[in-house]
Amino acid sequence: MTAEAPIRLLLVDDEAALREALSAYLARQGFDVTEAASAAEARSRLRDETPDLVLLDIMMPGEDGLSLCRHLVEAKAIPVIFLTARGEATDRIVGLEIGADDYVVKPFEPRELVARIRSVLRRAQRGVSTSAPEDELYEFEGWRLDPLKRRLIDPEGAVVPISSVEFRLLLAFLDHPRQVLDRDRLLDMVQGREAHLFDRAVDNQVSRLRRKIEVDSRNPQLIQTVWGGGYMLATEVRRIRPDTA
Amino acid sequence: MKRFWPQSLKGQLLLAVAVALLIAQAFSALLLYRSQAERRDAAVIHAAAFRLVSSRQPEPRDRPRRHDQELIDAPRSLRLETATQSPLRSGEHHDSRAETEIRQILADLAFPATDVVVTRRTLAHDQVARERVERRAALVGAPRVPLSREVLVAGVHTPDNVWLVARVLVPPGERGLVMTLIGQTLMIYAVLVGAIALALRRITRPLAALATRLEQFAQTRDAKSQLEPEGPDDVRRLIVAHNAMEDRIADLLNEKDVMLGAIGHDLKTPLAALRVRIESVEDDAERTKMAATIEDIVRTLDDILSLARVGRPRDPCEPTELSALVSSVVEEFEDMGDPVELGDMVRVVAPLRATWLRRALRNLIGNALRYGKVAHVALSREQDWAVIRITDEGPGIADADIARMQEPFARGEPSRNSETGGAGLGLALARAIADQHGGTLTLANRYLPDGTVAGLTAELRLPLE
Repeated sequence: MTAEAPIRLLLVDDEAALREALSAYLARQGFDVTEAASAAEARSRLRDETPDLVLLDIMMPGEDGLSLCRHLVEAKAIPVIFLTARGEATDRIVGLEIGADDYVVKPFEPRELVARIRSVLRRAQRGVSTSAPEDELYEFEGWRLDPLKRRLIDPEGAVVPISSVEFRLLLAFLDHPRQVLDRDRLLDMVQGREAHLFDRAVDNQVSRLRRKIEVDSRNPQLIQTVWGGGYMLATEVRRIRPDTA
Repeated sequence: MKRFWPQSLKGQLLLAVAVALLIAQAFSALLLYRSQAERRDAAVIHAAAFRLVSSRQPEPRDRPRRHDQELIDAPRSLRLETATQSPLRSGEHHDSRAETEIRQILADLAFPATDVVVTRRTLAHDQVARERVERRAALVGAPRVPLSREVLVAGVHTPDNVWLVARVLVPPGERGLVMTLIGQTLMIYAVLVGAIALALRRITRPLAALATRLEQFAQTRDAKSQLEPEGPDDVRRLIVAHNAMEDRIADLLNEKDVMLGAIGHDLKTPLAALRVRIESVEDDAERTKMAATIEDIVRTLDDILSLARVGRPRDPCEPTELSALVSSVVEEFEDMGDPVELGDMVRVVAPLRATWLRRALRNLIGNALRYGKVAHVALSREQDWAVIRITDEGPGIADADIARMQEPFARGEPSRNSETGGAGLGLALARAIADQHGGTLTLANRYLPDGTVAGLTAELRLPLE
């Protein structure tokens, strides 16, 4: 992606009203948008050109978004963001499991969609998502983090609900154990879709994460404050296959 | 009393059979006892009469010796006594029935008698009888006769102005009779119980399975793994009819889910288009208001869809650390700049559906903020319950309205003023989510010491097991 060339998006949605409004908005934001009203149309467009990212509706007549997504991820290695009208957690997990990079729930805030498009492309460019197999779990001090399902399990086996910012923050720590991460670095690694939430304060987010994973959040052992520097995960991290979990 | 009354069909039927059998057997025992008592009486009276009649013949000397208990217990006449006066002592009662009978027998045999008296006394009160019994016992070596044995004393006044007095030992009542009856009753009962239990098993087993199935269906509302029809025809029909009804209910619920899903999709997509289009509105304030309105519509739509689906969650319960969940919901509000305060928290793990519980907490905290200005959230553990308390500092709810408040679409004010609140679904949904987890949601006013309302407390209790 060079500075001059516009980002090419393929927007696949059977609803003409949304397609029209969204492509006009995205064009104003400087994207080069191609539309498709069905999975079949999307496939024929993909023969002519390869977009940088596909925005994909899940529920469509004919071939649905999930099946097209599988094709895009496996055969074309194109990043996908799902547009879904359903908000249930299971639907989101299914979408992420078959390889979508992100999802937004209709109706979404257009600016948030743009932020996510940029975030997914940034990650794809940096190759973050391919650095380690996504289905491996992180293990530290008896805790387990499933990066795909975004689930954190405590040593007793209970799910500990964390927000997506906390998830990204924890992931940043787990990818860099025993390294001091200063606030700017953390902000850079975590910043993404919830940028508008996150820029409140890295410190605030760290203390929230501590509240959830530390035995005593006033005397943190796992995520330690490094004076004048930032924060550090003070433990070993292992990557394990889910079937050994 | 209730503890001893069996609750099951089988128990009640067996108890009814036992009671009926007991009454029937008691009745026949009474009849049997009466007829036997009469027979015994007649034998005693006859023995006395014949002893009197035989007074003119010499006593046979060489009678066969009787040893066995049966003969000892039989009516036994003792030797006649000749007296000068009536054997009836003052204060003793005539046995007028026996007198009549003896008089009749004597008349039939042409025995001359001017008067007949008969009475009954125990061996202890009859000196003559006692001596004779003891003498005979010593002679024959028979077992001692208890002093409580009854003696029939019959006196006849002959024309020679002599009283002939006959004494007959009354045989004891038949104790064996009672034992026989009890044994018989037990045997009949055992046979009946066996037969009934067998028949009942064929009825109650499928019924019990059906009841379990029904409870399970009420929980899951899933028509899978239905019962096979078994048992007698009536029960079989019941099971077939029940299965058909389950199928129908499940179909209706599925239809409802599909329909609601379609409604959700069909409404959210145009809303999404609208949300994109308002970005081209130049006026910032106007655009923000439009976005807020769309958000309100979406939230209400989500509440309606959730309320319709809350009884049939597709995701299973998972052990979840509740304090992290509560904190994360509170933090969402903090990020919006809302005055939510996180109070005392404890780490507690409960099986729950995080997505649903989040929604319940969001609604409760949202209500506290809307009606009570600020929200305090605390989590504690009380025995087998995790208790989340959300308190506000608002005007509370009139006691009469508290129950009504938890129905769908009910709001504290009858005005339905949209300034102060959503569609009123939030509370109903929170309660349904509490139910879904086997927990409860209760609302109560908090009072200051002077009796004024300090605010409302919403208490969400979730079972730990």
